[in-house]
Amino acid sequence: MKAAILTDLTKCVGCEACALACKEINELDRTSANNLLTAYTWSAVENRKGVNIRRQCMHCEEPACASACPVTALTKTPEGAVIYDGHKCMGCRYCMIACPFGIPKYQWDKAIPVIQKCIFCYEKALQKGEQPACTRACPTGATIFGERSALIAEAQRRMAAQPQAYVQHLYGLREAGGTSVFYLSAVPFADLGFPANMIEDPYPRLTWKVLNKIPSIVTTGAAFLAGLWWIVNRRIKLQESPEERS
Amino acid sequence: MKFRLPKPTFWTFVLAAIWAAGLFSTLYRFYYGLGAATHLSDRFPWGIWIGFDILIGVGLAAGGFAIAATVYIFNLKAYKPIARSTILTAFLGYVLVITALMFDLGKPYNVWHVIIMWNPHSVMFEVGWCVMLYTTVLFLEFLPVVFERFRLERWQRLFHNITIPLVIIGVLLSTLHQSSLGTLYVLVASKLHPLWYSGMLPVFFFISAIAGGLAMVIFESYLSARAFGKELEHALLVNLSRVIAVVIGIYLVLRIQDMAGRGALNYIVDGSAESIYFLVEILLGFVTPMVLFFIPRVRANKAWLFFGAVLVLFGFIMNRLNVAITGMTRYSGVDYLPSWMELAVTLSVVAAGIVAFRFAVKFLPVFGANEELGVHPPPLIAAGRSGRRAMAVLFAILLLLVAGLGWSLIMHKPNLAPPAPDPAKPLAAESLSYPAPIAFTKAEASPGQVTFNHESHVDQAEPNCKGCHAGLFSVRPPAAPAGQAAAAPTGVGHTQCGTCHNGEKAFNYEESCDGCHISTE
Repeated sequence: MKAAILTDLTKCVGCEACALACKEINELDRTSANNLLTAYTWSAVENRKGVNIRRQCMHCEEPACASACPVTALTKTPEGAVIYDGHKCMGCRYCMIACPFGIPKYQWDKAIPVIQKCIFCYEKALQKGEQPACTRACPTGATIFGERSALIAEAQRRMAAQPQAYVQHLYGLREAGGTSVFYLSAVPFADLGFPANMIEDPYPRLTWKVLNKIPSIVTTGAAFLAGLWWIVNRRIKLQESPEERS
Repeated sequence: MKFRLPKPTFWTFVLAAIWAAGLFSTLYRFYYGLGAATHLSDRFPWGIWIGFDILIGVGLAAGGFAIAATVYIFNLKAYKPIARSTILTAFLGYVLVITALMFDLGKPYNVWHVIIMWNPHSVMFEVGWCVMLYTTVLFLEFLPVVFERFRLERWQRLFHNITIPLVIIGVLLSTLHQSSLGTLYVLVASKLHPLWYSGMLPVFFFISAIAGGLAMVIFESYLSARAFGKELEHALLVNLSRVIAVVIGIYLVLRIQDMAGRGALNYIVDGSAESIYFLVEILLGFVTPMVLFFIPRVRANKAWLFFGAVLVLFGFIMNRLNVAITGMTRYSGVDYLPSWMELAVTLSVVAAGIVAFRFAVKFLPVFGANEELGVHPPPLIAAGRSGRRAMAVLFAILLLLVAGLGWSLIMHKPNLAPPAPDPAKPLAAESLSYPAPIAFTKAEASPGQVTFNHESHVDQAEPNCKGCHAGLFSVRPPAAPAGQAAAAPTGVGHTQCGTCHNGEKAFNYEESCDGCHISTE
């Protein structure tokens, strides 16, 4: 199964139960603020324009962070989670630059820091077939866990059933080539601080288009340079001793 | 060889001050972490250690592969006198880049992971490998100088035989990672300002690195000539300046063309901070030196030649900093300025490069291959002789630039303005749907059943859940067996309700039991 999360912002009451449940299961510092994603808050609830907005990793289908990581510390699992291995990480922070949603955070206060972000409770729940702590904790059903295609269908059903209650935009369906975390809202997403100028192709394809040319650049380049050297040298030699011409 | 301490000069003290600050910053950074030593943050994770030390350090070392290719592949032996010092500059440049990287990496001791944990989809992976390999190649390219110094003739002959393959590998590796530093930013399509973001970034980074690298050769030769009292290979450098002018010309045309294609020209004139940085970069850093280098009388003058090279270096540095910092500022929402410790480390690294270069020159025959000095360099580009054709090229490029700017003025349509903020929309009361009334489990001694109703407890004017949840009352429903409704919450008592039912915010629970406990009898 491909796991996903659907967050219906119209149902969120801002109780921060998801944030606290996340800190509990991941043993994070509970004293840090719940309204901003940091290395110590992987699930946050922000209030903008009276709307409670749950923030977390989008778990992209083709994650930019995983493609950016030079040492495969970030990977997309078959279940849908984007997970992180701090032992592999060398701390280049290219994932932070790469993520179009600005999700990976860094332990700036540590002498030996690692990247931190929501990992879909991968080892503690998802791998055992359970739902993550946040959706389990949600008292209003604003953020729910389910099969990816089933949640997309559910979101589309809600938008069709109450067209006046929602903007007709399922955030995450196309953004960055599709994610595993979806949002429904009554207010346009651009007004809620969701990145607006997203491209709808997966981000890793942008760089892959360049990187996949490397083998041909190397082979053609080597042949070209070697050939050039040979021609130039031969011409110089012939000029110096024309009798070699035969 | 006797080693004598040089007499302290003004620059000795400057160096000592820089290194003292650098040493302090180093200890501070590794003991207290990146957050304490730098102005980096979650919103701005890459600062000058990446933007300056890495992007610019690698770019300015590009002279190494350009000159190596000129001398060994194009076989223009006239350039041999500057080959050694250029390769030395490049080698030191790369060593310093790797040093600076160790400061920026959160776990520098894991840097070798890139060798065994492959991710071919990562640009950073490719840059890592290329830098690693090319630094090795530069080391091997420079080794013959060391062999010459210690008269290891057998080794010299051995290395002579592998020069050409080494140079070819070096050119290929350089082409790859010079461009890949640009590819790093191809991934940030929705973050980097459209004045700099382009799918062509790898091409731009490569071309501008050639211009910057060659300008660095002029800059370094000029300073070396002054510092070490050696004769300046002026004729060679003049030829280089012509090459730079043509390279910049190609670069500018490609960039303007690309911006026109992306519809980004209007950003040049929208008056934003980015547009000013862009104009300074392009006009002062690229157009001005190109014009200067196209004029034969100007480039023949040593001081003007040096000045032009400085301008190219300025343009190159501006470009990299604009990509890494200026262009990322709007998205990040913070104004990043490096901390003094970031600057101290950067300065220390640059100073270390200068000192290492001086030492190498002192103890190794870096300028030793000067016997061919008498050879007059053949013109690299035949068009330059009369200057007329060069001027035609220059005017064509300028015309294109002016046309591009004019077009952008006509098409002026700033659309970068942030969306106008809506008046704050309070959560409409009718859109709230409260949970069903909650019947708490009745204790033995309780005078009556308590049923909690959300509707009477939420301030309708300012609906807000955080006053009670999740601090006071857990919102985690007790685990219920599958298929059954969640059990009624337990463990709620006078302590919690009494937080508000204390006679101040609401009636005192001690005074009125039947306010909450409804007796069914």
